[in-house]
Amino acid sequence: MKLNLNIGNKKYDIELNKTNGGSINIKVDGEEFLFQETKKEKKEPSLAKTSLPKRNFSEKEIKAPISGIISEIFAKEGDVIKQGEKVALLSAMKMENEIISDFDGKIKTALIKQEQTVKEGEILFLLD
Amino acid sequence: MEIKKYKKVSSTNLLAKKETNKPWSIILAEEQTTGYGRKKDYWFSPKGGLYFSIILPKSNIEDLQTLTLLAAFAVAETIKENLEIEPFIKLPNDVYINNKKVAGILTENVVGKDVKFSVMGIGLNTNISKFPKKLEGVATSLQLESKKKINNKKILVEIVKKIKKQLEIISA
Repeated sequence: MKLNLNIGNKKYDIELNKTNGGSINIKVDGEEFLFQETKKEKKEPSLAKTSLPKRNFSEKEIKAPISGIISEIFAKEGDVIKQGEKVALLSAMKMENEIISDFDGKIKTALIKQEQTVKEGEILFLLD
Repeated sequence: MEIKKYKKVSSTNLLAKKETNKPWSIILAEEQTTGYGRKKDYWFSPKGGLYFSIILPKSNIEDLQTLTLLAAFAVAETIKENLEIEPFIKLPNDVYINNKKVAGILTENVVGKDVKFSVMGIGLNTNISKFPKKLEGVATSLQLESKKKINNKKILVEIVKKIKKQLEIISA
Protein backbone atom coordinates (compact mmCIF):
# COMPACT_ATOMS: atom_id res chain seq x y z
CA MET A 1 0.00 0.00 0.00
CA LYS A 2 1.38 3.37 -0.98
CA LEU A 3 0.53 6.68 0.58
CA ASN A 4 1.44 10.26 -0.03
CA LEU A 5 1.30 12.42 3.07
CA ASN A 6 1.68 16.16 3.33
CA ILE A 7 2.81 17.29 6.77
CA GLY A 8 3.30 21.01 6.85
CA ASN A 9 4.99 21.87 3.57
CA LYS A 10 6.81 18.55 3.29
CA LYS A 11 5.71 15.57 1.22
CA TYR A 12 6.30 12.02 2.42
CA ASP A 13 6.09 8.93 0.21
CA ILE A 14 5.10 6.05 2.42
CA GLU A 15 4.94 2.39 1.45
CA LEU A 16 3.54 -0.28 3.73
CA ASN A 17 4.17 -3.98 3.15
CA LYS A 18 3.41 -6.98 5.27
CA THR A 19 6.30 -9.45 5.40
CA ASN A 20 5.90 -13.25 5.45
CA GLY A 21 6.94 -13.33 9.08
CA GLY A 22 4.01 -11.15 10.05
CA SER A 23 6.05 -7.95 10.43
CA ILE A 24 5.14 -4.70 8.75
CA ASN A 25 7.67 -2.96 6.62
CA ILE A 26 7.18 0.76 6.35
CA LYS A 27 9.26 2.75 3.87
CA VAL A 28 9.31 6.50 4.40
CA ASP A 29 11.07 8.32 1.53
CA GLY A 30 13.04 5.14 0.84
CA GLU A 31 14.08 4.61 4.46
CA GLU A 32 12.81 1.29 5.85
CA PHE A 33 11.31 0.67 9.24
CA LEU A 34 10.28 -2.74 10.42
CA PHE A 35 7.44 -3.15 12.87
CA GLN A 36 6.61 -6.36 14.63
CA GLU A 37 2.91 -6.84 14.91
CA THR A 38 1.99 -7.21 18.56
CA LYS A 39 0.04 -10.27 19.44
CA LYS A 40 -3.24 -9.49 21.05
CA GLU A 41 -4.29 -11.92 23.71
CA LYS A 42 -7.87 -12.86 23.56
CA LYS A 43 -9.25 -11.64 26.84
CA GLU A 44 -11.81 -13.65 28.66
CA PRO A 45 -14.44 -11.50 30.31
CA SER A 46 -13.55 -11.02 33.95
CA LEU A 47 -15.74 -13.15 36.14
CA ALA A 48 -15.30 -10.90 39.12
CA LYS A 49 -16.63 -7.95 37.23
CA THR A 50 -19.42 -9.55 35.32
CA SER A 51 -20.90 -11.90 37.88
CA LEU A 52 -23.36 -10.55 40.41
CA PRO A 53 -22.38 -10.32 44.06
CA LYS A 54 -23.39 -13.35 46.02
CA ARG A 55 -26.37 -12.03 47.85
CA ASN A 56 -30.03 -12.41 47.77
CA PHE A 57 -31.55 -9.27 46.34
CA SER A 58 -34.97 -10.12 47.63
CA GLU A 59 -33.53 -9.72 51.13
CA LYS A 60 -33.79 -6.24 52.63
CA GLU A 61 -31.44 -4.89 55.26
CA ILE A 62 -31.80 -2.26 57.94
CA LYS A 63 -28.40 -0.87 58.87
CA ALA A 64 -27.00 1.38 61.59
CA PRO A 65 -26.59 4.89 60.14
CA ILE A 66 -24.00 5.80 62.75
CA SER A 67 -22.00 4.06 65.47
CA GLY A 68 -23.66 3.94 68.86
CA ILE A 69 -25.58 1.88 71.38
CA ILE A 70 -28.92 0.21 70.75
CA SER A 71 -30.98 1.62 73.60
CA GLU A 72 -34.35 0.20 72.60
CA ILE A 73 -35.64 -2.42 70.18
CA PHE A 74 -39.18 -2.15 68.88
CA ALA A 75 -39.34 -5.07 66.45
CA LYS A 76 -38.64 -8.78 66.78
CA GLU A 77 -38.22 -11.71 64.43
CA GLY A 78 -41.45 -12.61 62.70
CA ASP A 79 -42.94 -9.12 62.99
CA VAL A 80 -44.50 -7.74 59.86
CA ILE A 81 -43.48 -4.12 59.55
CA LYS A 82 -44.32 -1.30 57.23
CA GLN A 83 -42.14 1.26 55.55
CA GLY A 84 -41.50 4.12 57.98
CA GLU A 85 -42.12 2.01 61.07
CA LYS A 86 -39.57 2.44 63.85
CA VAL A 87 -37.57 -0.65 64.67
CA ALA A 88 -34.89 0.52 67.11
CA LEU A 89 -33.47 3.46 69.00
CA LEU A 90 -29.78 4.11 68.59
CA SER A 91 -28.00 6.46 70.98
CA ALA A 92 -24.90 8.14 69.69
CA MET A 93 -23.13 10.82 71.71
CA LYS A 94 -25.99 13.19 72.49
CA MET A 95 -28.19 12.13 69.63
CA GLU A 96 -31.08 9.76 69.84
CA ASN A 97 -31.74 8.13 66.48
CA GLU A 98 -35.03 6.49 65.77
CA ILE A 99 -34.24 3.86 63.16
CA ILE A 100 -37.08 3.28 60.74
CA SER A 101 -37.55 0.67 58.04
CA ASP A 102 -37.31 1.74 54.44
CA PHE A 103 -39.34 -1.28 53.36
CA ASP A 104 -42.50 -3.23 54.00
CA GLY A 105 -41.63 -6.74 55.04
CA LYS A 106 -41.29 -9.42 57.66
CA ILE A 107 -38.34 -9.45 60.02
CA LYS A 108 -36.44 -12.61 59.22
CA THR A 109 -33.45 -12.04 61.49
CA ALA A 110 -32.85 -9.56 64.30
CA LEU A 111 -29.10 -9.20 64.73
CA ILE A 112 -29.07 -6.89 67.74
CA LYS A 113 -29.67 -6.96 71.45
CA GLN A 114 -30.49 -4.13 73.79
CA GLU A 115 -27.45 -2.11 74.94
CA GLN A 116 -25.38 -3.61 72.14
CA THR A 117 -22.73 -1.40 70.60
CA VAL A 118 -23.01 -1.22 66.83
CA LYS A 119 -20.82 0.25 64.17
CA GLU A 120 -21.89 2.46 61.29
CA GLY A 121 -23.17 0.29 58.45
CA GLU A 122 -23.71 -2.77 60.64
CA ILE A 123 -26.80 -4.75 59.70
CA LEU A 124 -29.44 -4.62 62.43
CA PHE A 125 -32.30 -6.51 60.82
CA LEU A 126 -32.83 -8.69 57.77
CA LEU A 127 -36.23 -8.59 56.18
CA ASP A 128 -37.93 -10.93 53.76
CA MET B 1 -37.63 33.10 62.43
CA GLU B 2 -40.91 31.23 62.84
CA ILE B 3 -41.59 30.63 66.52
CA LYS B 4 -44.59 28.63 67.72
CA LYS B 5 -45.14 29.47 71.32
CA TYR B 6 -46.97 27.28 73.82
CA LYS B 7 -47.80 27.77 77.48
CA LYS B 8 -47.38 24.19 78.62
CA VAL B 9 -46.33 21.12 76.65
CA SER B 10 -45.19 17.61 77.50
CA SER B 11 -41.89 18.19 75.70
CA THR B 12 -40.96 20.57 72.90
CA ASN B 13 -39.08 17.79 71.08
CA LEU B 14 -42.08 15.47 71.23
CA LEU B 15 -44.37 18.20 69.97
CA ALA B 16 -41.94 19.19 67.24
CA LYS B 17 -41.96 15.61 65.92
CA LYS B 18 -45.72 15.78 65.43
CA GLU B 19 -46.16 19.43 64.62
CA THR B 20 -43.94 20.48 61.76
CA ASN B 21 -41.04 19.66 59.51
CA LYS B 22 -40.29 23.17 58.33
CA PRO B 23 -36.55 23.75 58.77
CA TRP B 24 -35.56 26.33 61.36
CA SER B 25 -39.03 26.68 62.78
CA ILE B 26 -39.01 26.79 66.56
CA ILE B 27 -41.29 25.17 69.11
CA LEU B 28 -41.10 27.20 72.31
CA ALA B 29 -42.79 26.38 75.60
CA GLU B 30 -43.11 28.28 78.86
CA GLU B 31 -43.02 24.99 80.73
CA GLN B 32 -42.68 21.27 80.03
CA THR B 33 -44.39 18.57 82.01
CA THR B 34 -42.14 15.74 80.79
CA GLY B 35 -39.04 17.49 79.52
CA TYR B 36 -36.32 14.93 78.96
CA GLY B 37 -32.71 14.56 78.03
CA ARG B 38 -30.81 11.58 76.72
CA LYS B 39 -32.03 8.17 77.85
CA LYS B 40 -35.23 9.94 78.83
CA ASP B 41 -33.59 11.60 81.82
CA TYR B 42 -36.00 14.07 83.33
CA TRP B 43 -35.35 17.77 82.69
CA PHE B 44 -36.79 20.08 85.34
CA SER B 45 -38.79 22.57 83.25
CA PRO B 46 -40.81 25.01 85.35
CA LYS B 47 -42.09 28.39 84.18
CA GLY B 48 -39.29 30.93 83.81
CA GLY B 49 -36.84 28.67 81.98
CA LEU B 50 -36.19 28.60 78.25
CA TYR B 51 -37.30 25.38 76.54
CA PHE B 52 -37.32 25.13 72.80
CA SER B 53 -36.79 22.80 69.87
CA ILE B 54 -35.35 23.68 66.50
CA ILE B 55 -36.45 21.74 63.43
CA LEU B 56 -33.20 21.14 61.58
CA PRO B 57 -32.92 20.96 57.81
CA LYS B 58 -32.25 17.52 56.37
CA SER B 59 -28.53 17.03 56.70
CA ASN B 60 -26.21 14.10 56.75
CA ILE B 61 -25.97 12.41 60.11
CA GLU B 62 -22.28 13.23 60.66
CA ASP B 63 -23.03 16.94 60.27
CA LEU B 64 -25.87 16.66 62.76
CA GLN B 65 -23.55 15.06 65.27
CA THR B 66 -21.02 17.85 64.83
CA LEU B 67 -23.79 20.43 65.08
CA THR B 68 -25.00 18.93 68.36
CA LEU B 69 -21.53 19.44 69.82
CA LEU B 70 -21.31 22.95 68.46
CA ALA B 71 -24.71 23.84 69.91
CA ALA B 72 -23.17 23.72 73.39
CA PHE B 73 -20.66 26.34 72.25
CA ALA B 74 -23.49 28.47 70.84
CA VAL B 75 -25.30 28.35 74.19
CA ALA B 76 -22.13 29.04 76.19
CA GLU B 77 -21.13 31.93 73.94
CA THR B 78 -24.58 33.51 74.22
CA ILE B 79 -24.42 33.29 78.02
CA LYS B 80 -20.96 34.84 78.05
CA GLU B 81 -21.90 37.69 75.71
CA ASN B 82 -25.06 38.59 77.61
CA LEU B 83 -24.06 38.09 81.20
CA GLU B 84 -20.28 38.15 81.37
CA ILE B 85 -20.33 34.77 83.04
CA GLU B 86 -17.75 32.18 82.05
CA PRO B 87 -19.65 28.94 81.42
CA PHE B 88 -17.99 25.56 81.19
CA ILE B 89 -18.81 23.06 78.46
CA LYS B 90 -18.92 19.50 79.64
CA LEU B 91 -18.42 17.49 76.50
CA PRO B 92 -20.21 16.41 74.53
CA ASN B 93 -22.85 19.02 75.12
CA ASP B 94 -23.86 20.15 78.57
CA VAL B 95 -23.23 23.66 79.79
CA TYR B 96 -22.22 24.27 83.38
CA ILE B 97 -21.66 27.31 85.57
CA ASN B 98 -19.76 26.88 88.82
CA ASN B 99 -19.93 23.10 88.47
CA LYS B 100 -23.71 23.08 88.16
CA LYS B 101 -25.65 22.27 85.03
CA VAL B 102 -27.40 25.20 83.41
CA ALA B 103 -28.26 23.85 79.94
CA GLY B 104 -28.76 20.56 78.13
CA ILE B 105 -29.09 19.73 74.46
CA LEU B 106 -30.68 16.70 72.86
CA THR B 107 -30.85 16.06 69.13
CA GLU B 108 -33.32 13.45 67.93
CA ASN B 109 -33.28 12.06 64.41
CA VAL B 110 -35.54 9.77 62.46
CA VAL B 111 -33.31 7.77 60.16
CA GLY B 112 -33.94 5.27 57.40
CA LYS B 113 -31.48 5.08 54.53
CA ASP B 114 -31.01 8.77 55.10
CA VAL B 115 -32.09 11.30 57.70
CA LYS B 116 -35.83 11.91 57.43
CA PHE B 117 -36.28 14.32 60.30
CA SER B 118 -34.14 16.08 62.90
CA VAL B 119 -34.97 18.16 65.90
CA MET B 120 -32.64 19.75 68.42
CA GLY B 121 -34.07 20.45 71.83
CA ILE B 122 -32.42 22.90 74.19
CA GLY B 123 -33.28 23.43 77.81
CA LEU B 124 -31.69 26.45 79.44
CA ASN B 125 -32.31 27.38 83.04
CA THR B 126 -32.79 31.11 82.76
CA ASN B 127 -35.25 32.67 85.21
CA ILE B 128 -35.46 29.85 87.72
CA SER B 129 -35.07 31.12 91.27
CA LYS B 130 -35.30 27.82 93.12
CA PHE B 131 -34.59 24.17 92.39
CA PRO B 132 -36.00 21.14 94.17
CA LYS B 133 -33.77 19.78 96.95
CA LYS B 134 -32.44 16.86 94.89
CA LEU B 135 -31.30 19.24 92.12
CA GLU B 136 -29.96 22.09 94.28
CA GLY B 137 -26.43 20.77 94.31
CA VAL B 138 -26.27 19.89 90.61
CA ALA B 139 -28.33 22.52 88.79
CA THR B 140 -28.25 26.28 88.54
CA SER B 141 -29.84 29.08 86.52
CA LEU B 142 -28.63 32.22 84.82
CA GLN B 143 -30.73 34.28 87.21
CA LEU B 144 -29.16 32.66 90.27
CA GLU B 145 -25.67 33.12 88.86
CA SER B 146 -26.04 36.67 87.51
CA LYS B 147 -28.71 38.07 89.86
CA LYS B 148 -30.37 39.48 86.75
CA LYS B 149 -33.67 38.90 84.99
CA ILE B 150 -33.02 37.18 81.68
CA ASN B 151 -34.71 38.08 78.40
CA ASN B 152 -35.63 34.59 77.14
CA LYS B 153 -36.64 35.72 73.66
CA LYS B 154 -33.36 37.55 73.07
CA ILE B 155 -31.32 34.57 74.26
CA LEU B 156 -33.37 32.21 72.09
CA VAL B 157 -32.89 34.24 68.92
CA GLU B 158 -29.16 34.59 69.51
CA ILE B 159 -28.66 30.88 70.11
CA VAL B 160 -30.63 29.85 67.01
CA LYS B 161 -28.72 32.31 64.83
CA LYS B 162 -25.41 30.92 66.02
CA ILE B 163 -26.48 27.32 65.43
CA LYS B 164 -27.74 28.18 61.96
CA LYS B 165 -24.43 29.79 61.13
CA GLN B 166 -22.53 26.76 62.39
CA LEU B 167 -24.55 24.37 60.21
CA GLU B 168 -23.90 26.56 57.19
CA ILE B 169 -20.19 26.35 57.90
CA ILE B 170 -19.97 22.60 58.49
CA SER B 171 -22.24 21.58 55.64
CA ALA B 172 -20.67 23.97 53.10
